Formats: sequence, C-alpha cells, structure tokens
Amino acid sequence: MILPWIPLLALLGVVVPLLTRQRGRRFCSLATAAPAILALLLVFSQVPALLAGDLPRFQLAWVPQLGLDLAFRLDGLSLLFVSLILGIGLLILLYAHYYLEAHEPFARFYSFLMLFMLSMVGIVMADNLLLLWLFWELTSLSSFLLIGFWSHWTDARKGARMALTVTGAGGLALLAGLLLLGDMAGSFDLGVVLESREAILADPRYPLMLVLVLLGAFTKSAQFPFHFWLPHAMAAPTPVSAYLHSATMVKAGIFLMARLHPAIAGSEAWELIVTLTGMATLLYGAWFALLKTDLKAILAFSTVSHLGLITVLLGIGSPLAILAALFHILNHATFKAALFMSAGIIDHETGTRELGRLGGLRRAMPVTALLTSLTAAAMAGVPLFNGFLSKEMFFAEAAASPLLGGLSWLLPVLATLGGILSVAYSLRLVHAVFFKPARKAPPKSPHEPPRLMRAPVELLAALCVLVGLLPVIAEVPLGLAVEAVLLTPLEFHLAIWHGLNLPLLMSVIALIAGVLLYALHAHLRQFGRQFSPMDARLIFEGAVQRLMTWSERLTVRLENGSLQRYMSWLLGAALLLGAIGLLQLPSLAGARPTQEADGILLLGAALMIFGALGTVATHRYRLISLLMLSVVGLVVSLTFARFSAPDLALTQLSVEVVTMILLMLALFFLPQKTPRESSAGRNIRDLGLAASLGMVVASLNYAVLTRDNHGISDFFIANSVPGGGGHNVVNVILVDFRGFDTLGEITVLALAGLAIFKLLNRLRLFMPHSDGEGRVWSPDRYPLILTSVSQALLPLALLVSAFIFLRGHNLPGGGFIAGLITAVALILVYMARGVEWTQQRLDFQYQPVAIAGVAIATLTGLGSWLFGRPFLTSAFGHFHIPAIGDIELATAMLFDLGVYLAVVGATLMILANLGKLTTPHRPSKEEKH
Amino acid sequence: MNPEVALPILIPLFSGALSLLFWRLRSMQRLVAVAGTAALLITSLWLLASVSRDGIQVMHMGNWPAPFGISLVADLLGAIMVVLTGIIGFAVALFSLATVGRGHEAFGYFPLMHLLLAGVAGAFLTGDIFNLYVWFEVMLVASFALLILGSEKAQMEGAIKYVALNLLSSVIFLSAVGLLYGLVGTLNMADIAQRLGQLEEGGLVDVLAMMFMVAFGIKAAAFPLFFWLPASYHTPPVAVSALFAGLLTKVGVYALYRVFTLIFNQSPDYTHEILLWGAGLTMLTGVLGAAAQFEFRRILSFHIVSQIGYMILGLALFTPLALVGGVFYIMHHIIVKTNLFLVSGFVHRLKGSYQLKKLGGLYKSHPWLAVLFLIPAFSLAGLPPLSGFFAKFVVIRAGLEAEAYGVTFVALLVGLLTLYSMVKIWAEAFWKAAPEDAEPAPEAPSQREQWLLYLPIVGLALCTLAIGLYGAPIYALAEASAAQLMDPGRYIEAVLGTEVTP
Repeated sequence: MILPWIPLLALLGVVVPLLTRQRGRRFCSLATAAPAILALLLVFSQVPALLAGDLPRFQLAWVPQLGLDLAFRLDGLSLLFVSLILGIGLLILLYAHYYLEAHEPFARFYSFLMLFMLSMVGIVMADNLLLLWLFWELTSLSSFLLIGFWSHWTDARKGARMALTVTGAGGLALLAGLLLLGDMAGSFDLGVVLESREAILADPRYPLMLVLVLLGAFTKSAQFPFHFWLPHAMAAPTPVSAYLHSATMVKAGIFLMARLHPAIAGSEAWELIVTLTGMATLLYGAWFALLKTDLKAILAFSTVSHLGLITVLLGIGSPLAILAALFHILNHATFKAALFMSAGIIDHETGTRELGRLGGLRRAMPVTALLTSLTAAAMAGVPLFNGFLSKEMFFAEAAASPLLGGLSWLLPVLATLGGILSVAYSLRLVHAVFFKPARKAPPKSPHEPPRLMRAPVELLAALCVLVGLLPVIAEVPLGLAVEAVLLTPLEFHLAIWHGLNLPLLMSVIALIAGVLLYALHAHLRQFGRQFSPMDARLIFEGAVQRLMTWSERLTVRLENGSLQRYMSWLLGAALLLGAIGLLQLPSLAGARPTQEADGILLLGAALMIFGALGTVATHRYRLISLLMLSVVGLVVSLTFARFSAPDLALTQLSVEVVTMILLMLALFFLPQKTPRESSAGRNIRDLGLAASLGMVVASLNYAVLTRDNHGISDFFIANSVPGGGGHNVVNVILVDFRGFDTLGEITVLALAGLAIFKLLNRLRLFMPHSDGEGRVWSPDRYPLILTSVSQALLPLALLVSAFIFLRGHNLPGGGFIAGLITAVALILVYMARGVEWTQQRLDFQYQPVAIAGVAIATLTGLGSWLFGRPFLTSAFGHFHIPAIGDIELATAMLFDLGVYLAVVGATLMILANLGKLTTPHRPSKEEKH
Repeated sequence: MNPEVALPILIPLFSGALSLLFWRLRSMQRLVAVAGTAALLITSLWLLASVSRDGIQVMHMGNWPAPFGISLVADLLGAIMVVLTGIIGFAVALFSLATVGRGHEAFGYFPLMHLLLAGVAGAFLTGDIFNLYVWFEVMLVASFALLILGSEKAQMEGAIKYVALNLLSSVIFLSAVGLLYGLVGTLNMADIAQRLGQLEEGGLVDVLAMMFMVAFGIKAAAFPLFFWLPASYHTPPVAVSALFAGLLTKVGVYALYRVFTLIFNQSPDYTHEILLWGAGLTMLTGVLGAAAQFEFRRILSFHIVSQIGYMILGLALFTPLALVGGVFYIMHHIIVKTNLFLVSGFVHRLKGSYQLKKLGGLYKSHPWLAVLFLIPAFSLAGLPPLSGFFAKFVVIRAGLEAEAYGVTFVALLVGLLTLYSMVKIWAEAFWKAAPEDAEPAPEAPSQREQWLLYLPIVGLALCTLAIGLYGAPIYALAEASAAQLMDPGRYIEAVLGTEVTP
C-alpha cells in the first residue's frame, strides 16, 4: 500500500529536522526536503491508476467503535490539493532556508512546517470525516505554533492566539456539524457520506448541520465576517504566510466545501449562504487590499478576496462553476505564494514592508521586479496569465447564475466590481514598490536576494505564464478533480479565446476601470480615512477583555472569599432540591402508626430544643454556648438509653465528655466574648435558611420513620452469638459484622490526631492571663483536691476501662468506650498535674500508640488471609485456662484492642498537643523575642 | 480468595502505618513512598485484569454474606478508578521526592499521602454506602492535614474553608445514609438498589436522591457547590495540589456515577435532568472563573470545576454512549490534570512563582518542558489526537444524539474557552520573554532533581498520548464499564447472588 506512506513520510519530516539539527542548516534543510520529495513522487506514481478510473484507498481501524478509521483516499480532488501542498511546501522550504536568520532555531521551524504539511496532507487525503476533522485541528495547532514563531514579539503572540481562537471555534462548530452529518449518513466513511445526499438533504437537522459545517469552513478560509484573523496572522515569518495563508491552510475551508459538495450542496440554503458570503468577502477583501499600506497586509486582504471568489463559485455550484473554482484554487496558490515570497524578499532585503518607504526598487532588484509584475498580472487577471482564465470563467458563471431571481443581474455586476478592485490593488502593489519613486529611503540598501532564494518565485511565475498560455496542461488534473467533486466526469476544454462575449466584456471593463481606479486611489484613501480605523485585533481583544471582566465580576460575585456566603450557597442548594422533592410527595406520613408521646419524651425534646436554641442565642459567649451544646449531647445520650441502646448511650456520654474538655482547652486561647459580627438582615437570612432546612430534614425524618422497613437487623441479632461469638450485638457489629467500618474510623481518628499535631505544631498563641472581665486566672494552677482525687481515680478508672473492654463482646462496653474512659482518666491527671508533671511520668509518645492500634487491627484482619478466609474474618473459641476457668477468646477482641489503642492514642495526642501550647516547653512568644 | 480486591486499600493503609512508624527516618519514608505506591499500582492492574477477565469481583469482609457484612465490590468502573489512583499515586510519589522539602516530610507528608490514597481506593472499592462515608472521612481528614502542611496563613484560610464546606457535605451525606437506612433497612448498595426497586415510595426516594446529589456534588465540586476548591487548591505544596486535582473531586464524581446508575435510576427524567443543569452550569462557571485568573494553579483549579461538568454531563444524559464518554473523560482528566499541576510545580521550581506575570522565557530555556506542557494542555482543551479529544468527542456526540443541543453548545463553547485559557498560560509562561525584574528562583532544581521532576511528567504525558493514539482498547474498556453501569442487575447479582467465598 502506497497511500499511508504519503502522510507517514510527512510525519517523518517532522522528526528529521530535530534529529539532524546538529549537522548544519544545509544538511538539515536537505534532509527535511527528502521525505517530502519522496511523498510527492509517491503521489505522482498514483496518477496512472487514477487516470484508469481507479480510486486508491486505504483503511485501518483506529477506534472502530466511534467510526474513526485511519482511512485515506487519493481521488482527483485529493491529488490536486496534495500536489499543491507538497509542491509548494518544498518551494517554501527552499525559500525558508535562505529566509531565516542564522541565529534562529531553524530545525524547530522546519519541524513545525512539516507538522503543518502533514496535517494538510491528512485533511485532503482523509477518507473519514472524523479523521478529516482531526487533521483539521492539527492545522490550527501547527499554524498557531508557526504564527507565533517569533514569540518574543507581542504581535506574533497575539496574532497566533487570535488565529487559534477563531479557527478553533470554527473547528468545534465543524465537529458538531460533522457529527450530525455522520449521523444522518449513517457512517463517517467519506464514500458512504458522499452517496447519501438524499437522506442528508431530507433530514430535519440539515440546516443546523449546514450552518455548523459552513462555520468551520468560513472561519478557516477567512470568509467575511470571520476574516479578521488572517491579516493579523501575517505576524508570522513570510514563508509561513506564503504557505499557510495563501496557498494551503486557508484553502482548507474551500477544500471542505468542495469535498462535501456532492453530499450537502445544492439546497437553496447552501446556494444563498455560500454565494452571498463569498461575494461579501470578495468585495470586502478587495476594498481593504486597496487601502492597506503594508505589503503583507495588502496580500492578506487580497487573499481574503480571492477566497471569497472561490467561495462564490462553490456556492453557485454548477459543474462549470466547480471547474472554475478548482482552477482558481490552483492559480491563486501559484501566483499568491509567489507574491508572498516576493514580498518576503523585499522585506528581507530592504528591512521594511511599508509602501511609503518602498519605491523605485526596479533598479536595485530588476529580476524581483519582473517576477512580481508577472505574478501580480496573474492576480489582476490580465490576459495570457493563468489568473485571467479562471477569472473569466468566474465572470461567466456569475452572469449565468439564476440565483437571487429577479435580482440575478446583481451577481455579475458585483463580480465585475471585484475584478476592478483586484486590478487596482495589483497595479498599485507593483507600481508603488518598483516604479514610483520612494518618499523615504528603506532601512537597508536593497539588492537582489541569493539566487536560490528567488528560484521558487521564478518557478511559480513561470507556471503562471505557462498555464496562461497553454491552459491545456491543466486539463488533466482539473478533470480528475472535477470528477471527484461532481462524481461524474465532465467534458470541458480550457481555452484562452472564447470569442467576443459577456465575460470578456466584463474583463475589459475590469481592466480599464481598475487602472482608472488606481489613478484615483488617492481620493479613495481619503474617503477611506473618514472611517475610524477598525483594527480587528483591537475589537477581538476588546471582546476578550470584556468577557474577562465580565467573568471576573461573576467570579468575584460567586467566589468572594466569604465562608458564610459559600455555606449559604451550599445550604440553599440543599434546601431547594430537598424542598422541591418534598413538594411532590403525595403525603408525608406513612403507614406505620406513631408512638404515644409521654411526658419524659416531651421533656427530653423540650430540653434538646432549649439546648440548641440556647447554643445559638449565646454564641457570643463561647463558654455558655458550649455548655448549652453539651445539654444537647447529654439529652441525645439519654435518648439512646431510653430507646434501649445502652452501648450508644455510654459511647455518646464519653464522647461528649472528651469533646467538651478538648473544646474548653481550645477556648482558653480565644477571647471569651466575640463581637457582634452579623447585621440584622443577615441574621434573618441565616435564621430563615437554618429554620427551613431544619424543617425539610425533620419532615424527611418524619416521613421515613412513619414507614415500615424490613431491614437486615434481625440477622445481626440472630447471628451475633453463633457467628460472632458475642452477646453484645452492638459490639459484634462494630468489631465483626462491620469491622471494616471500624478500621476506617480508627484510621480517621489517628489521622485527626496527626492533623491536630501538625496544625498546632507551629502555632504561636497569645496566652491570656485573665478572663473576659479582666479577672486574673487563679494562681493556684493545680488545686490540691483535684490532684489527689485524680491520682486516686486513675487506677480505678483504668480498671473500669479494662473491665468494660473485656466484657464488651457480651455486655455493653468494648474497645471504643474503654478507650474513651482511659483517655478521660488520663486527661484528668493532665489537668490536675499539668503537662510537665504528667509527661515526666508517662514518658512515651502517643503517636505510636495510635498507629499501633491501627496496625494491630489491620494485622488481625490480614491474619484471616493466612487461613484462606476473606479479610477480617473472625474466629472464636472457648478455652480452659487453669485457675481462671473457662473463657471465650475471639480474634475480634484483638481487633478491639486495636480500636482501644487507637482511641487512647489519638485522644491523648490531641490533648497533649493542645496542652503543650500552655507550657513553657514550647518556645512561646516571649521567648522568641 | 481474591485478595486483589482488598489490597489496593490495605497496601496504602499499611504503607501509611509503616512510614508513621519510621517517623524520623527520612530515607525509609521515601523508600516506602515509592515502593508502596508502586505496589498499589501493580495490584490495581492485577485487579483490573481480573475484573475484565472474570467479571465483577466481590469480597465479603469478615466472611459475612451480603448484605449483612461489608462487601468490597470491584466492577470495571471501580477497577479503572483504582488503577488511576495507582498511576497518580506513583507519579506524585516520584515527584514528591524532589519537591516536598525536608520540613514537610518531617510533618508527615508521606504517611498522609498513603492514607489519602487508602481512603480514595476504599471509596472506589466499597459496595456499602456507610462504608463509603467512612472512606470519605479518611480522605477528608488526610487531605485536610495535607492542606495545612507548612501552616502558612494562606493555607490556613483555604484549609478552613475546605474543611468546613466538606464537613457540611459529610453531614448531608450521613443524614442521607441514615434516612435511606430508615427507608430500606440496609446499607449494602446492591441490596439498597434491589429493595428500592420494590418500594413504592418514588417521591421520597427522589428527595433522598437529591440529598446524595448535594453531598456528592460538594465533593465533586459541581455548581454551586464548588467554592471550597478554588479557595484551597492553590495553597499547599504542589505535589499535594496535583494529588488532590487528580483524585479528590473524581471520588465525588465516581460516587455520583455509582449512586445515580445503581441506586437512583428510577426517575431519570427528574434526577438526571437536574444533573444536566448542574453539568452545564458547572462547565460554564468553572471556565469563566478560569478566564479571570492569572495564577497558574488557580487557572488549573477552576478548570477542574469546569471539567467536572463534562463528567457529570456524561452521567446526566444517561445514555450508553454518554456514560462511555463520562468514564473516558474521567480517565483522561485524572491523568492530564495531575500532569498539568506537576508541570506548574516544575515551572515554580524554575522560576519561583505561579504568577503568570512573573513567568516567561521557558520556551527558549526549556523547550522540552514546553512540549510537556503542551501535551496535557491541548489534551485538556480537547485537541486531537490526544486523550482529551476522544473524551470530549464522545460526550458531545452523545449530547447531539440525545438532541440536548443547549448543553452540547455549552460543552463546545467551554472547550473553546479552555483552549483559550491554556493558550494564555502558554503565551505568558512559555512564549513571552521572562520579565526583566524577575528574581531567580530560590532553589533551582539540581540535575538529579530535574530527572525526578521530568520522570512523572513524561510518564503521564505518554499516558495521554497512548490513550489518544491507541484509543480503541481504552474505548472498549470505557464501553464495557458503561455497559455494566447501564445494567445494574449485573452488579446486584454479583454482590448478592454469588456464593460466599469459603
């Protein structure tokens, strides 16, 4: 298979310059050209097959599920374009070899250039819509890198960004369009798509698809009003402008319209949109080409105008119009690339591109002057040049088109107007640069460029003349290309002379009026100056800037740094979504009857409500608020007891005690009173939010509690003894049924200890010496009674916690509660004796205790793997130990030991670190000074 | 016995404990960091292999049959997520060797990293809704501790918002679990799904679904619940940012995927429609937020938000293709986003700043770093042939097929703005010449450190390229995983129906 080698060789060209960079520019340039030359030869080797009526194709599945294949074809249209891309690419390479300065990273430039060549080859050879799009995006990307090649220059960076944004936007539209197209045709395979015209035109999504696809094509091919990026892309080095922005990339949109022509063209919408857009572009570009004074800007706008011309032809869509379009693509590529290169030579040799500083160059650069004049004549459509032929065909088709009904005369008139402008700006280009005397000397004294730098221009100029004189030689490639677009062969003959007819008259008018227009163009420029100069980049960047400001404002509104604001967003969202759901419930209450409320229950509820309200109401007095909070906690604990959950009650109680102590320790460092911070309005807002959210949650609770469920809890009660070896179901759940949860939770606990250690480690706190009212803290730091009581209590408490731990598996208790009790006992000692005293006697780190706990629990679980059981499988048995008697031992107890250690370790880690803050052990504020 | 189901949780848990025990031995901690994350990566690949070979893998903890004990369940989505956790863990561990200073290491950076990974892996593997909560807590506390590493003022401010808002999520999540348990009396997700199917309380279930949506939406940083993310992600050491950026929000997204395919799939017209709105607004607000930023990591952080929108979009459209797109997007995003953060860290080491204004000239001085930035950056923007292209492509195609034109338009627009944002970074940090008054970086990396910095960046960039160029098998994986998600019966059967391992 030869086809895949063409893009592969181009890909090779991307790598070669980077590899051969060390061996000098000459070698590198030659090495880079080699794969491209080879690829071109391969393309030509396929011509006989094409002439014989074959369609060389290649297909390799890539992501077949998406319909994306690595599929290539080489039909006439591809052939025309691929030869253009490779051929002109080679010339550009030669040109660039001389163009780049010695210090510039030429290898990188070649590599980007070849990357671009690869992507263009990919576009025109793709036999799959998605593959085509993929290469399409690659052209945007490689052109971005090329335009910004002189990245130190702001204009280059901005031009590159603009080009990428505009073509990128078009690319995304195109993606959507192609997806729709593929969906309508039932396949992304180009062959299938091209033959599904009826289905596509009949689809209701056709208009949407058409607009999206055309958006892609128009942005790429710089059609009005998306043309504005092109003149600014001229910040690129001239080889890039010549290659991308005249010969190839901007033709990609045109190519796309030609490629999809059989499938999507021919509808009224197509004709109107495409033709009118093209016409607008043609005139707009030509007008500005006449007004600009920068050589490259003139060429850029003239490119825009010629692209418009081709678009008009594709819009008209008759077989001969297609032929004319393809012919003009070919012609435009030759003369425009040559002109760009000439412009580059002039820039290179004189140091400026401003018409004002150029002039009279025909003396210093006679050959360049000749070449430029020839190619400009082709651009103007002067007879005996190639541009004349295709332009006359354009006039003929414009005159013959029935579009616009009764106003159809408008089309040829506008076409002629375009022709006039085109003659005028071509003339101006040549005259102003080479013939008119210069007003101001250019920065460098001009002379002819190196012989080989001119060679590409010479070759292209020769082609312009050759095709102009002997149009027959273009018939074969054009015939193949037209056949690929029309899907049937077209009989045609290219000739210079068609007799005296309307198109000829239009040409003559264009030529004469064009010369006149140039003669008057000083007035025109005067007229043009009346309009405030419209710099597309400023507009574009203004738009971007507006978007930025706008999004900044939005972001600042949303994300203003206030935690309260964020909280209210979150809660508001929860409230909204919850309330909407609740509104749709037919009734809140379920089938299960509610329990009778007795006095104790009501009292508990009232207490809880009081505690909660009190916490909020007294929030400025932190200690009181904290006490109020503990009321809630204690009532919760009582509630557990009331509903026969002694384990939970015990746990809640110990947790409550420990958290209270820790919180009080923390409160010590805070001011006892906080100032009033919220306005009344905000208080009301927050109150409303909290109350409504509370109501939603309460309603939900009510709804759930009044419904029956047949849960899994019976299983636990039934299996606790036979399966888990314990009578205390809660503990068996904790250490066995759901031991994995517990493992996670003790990890959290150990982590929390660590986090607080880290948090406090570098903290330097102000230590208050008095309370809020200014009363000095009691000098008696360690009251005697507390000291002695705590000391006496410690062994007792440890005993109790051991007891609670051991009985835990069968009666209320367990590792968690035991751990908390131990922790409380130790905390008491700390409080009574102070950190220093205690630490001297309890000389060990708590961190390893907590870690050991987690490790023991994990290892207990892993132990079961040794017996081929899943993680955490427990085992238990009854053992007879002399002197103690029968005893039940379970692996779950080992796990529980891990829990115990983790709880003790983590709690004391937190406490010790908080406590340490108060001791002179730590470098305090005073010490540092 | 299939230990590979539990190992991805236990290995980091164990590595965490080990490196805590060797608190003072720096070299040992570093060794455990690399070895532990490598082991995690290997077991995760093992898990993925067995899931794709033998179907959904289940392990009943404590040998209690489902739904009574806790089951670990690895379906394809879970296994894929665990593999990604392994990849990111390993890459970040390598990167940390060169970037996390001695001081941070002394405060337990490595053990926390391991425990965070354990939490993430646990969340991906558990088949129990309460156990999911437990792993969320492990993640939350570990990530909070990592956030305050260094205890700088900005970090504290970010961390307090982070922890406060995430605790709110935990509260909502826990209440929702409690209510759900009250309604169906079980915690095993497969069992919940089965029982909800028989329940005739559609309205009430929808309300609970909303609560889960809010709770997980906060975790996933969806609109309007994302505020904790841009407030905090740019504050900690960059290795931490990278780890968070890759994994944390994706746990929330994963949870949404799990819950809204397996459990709350009864009334997609209601629940998934809300998700759709959320997805669109998330994409948009995130990307607009990014447009207003000029700090490397803040830009990237806002883009996390906007990309989360795409992932939720995949879920919200709730068609097989959309889920493929969503899963693909998650895979791609985790790798790319972590890599971008790593690149930002490298840049910071070289230039000493994250402010685009103060950066520049890297294209000239570090062309390879420039290429390594472009790969994930353009991938993030969805340019072909990188991973992001396929991800975005599938989601957009799914949107068009579902005729959800509005949100598809938003997705396309956001893609464009993402591109613009990436180009902004490129133009400022790489193309532009370095500002004249730029101060030299305080600690430019040594040659050996440069290698350590390049290694994970190159590795992740290769992943991005591989997903793009070698897309078919990855796509097939995403497709198979989406097929499992669309057919929750298989999950339920695997958890409840199979025999308990002896």
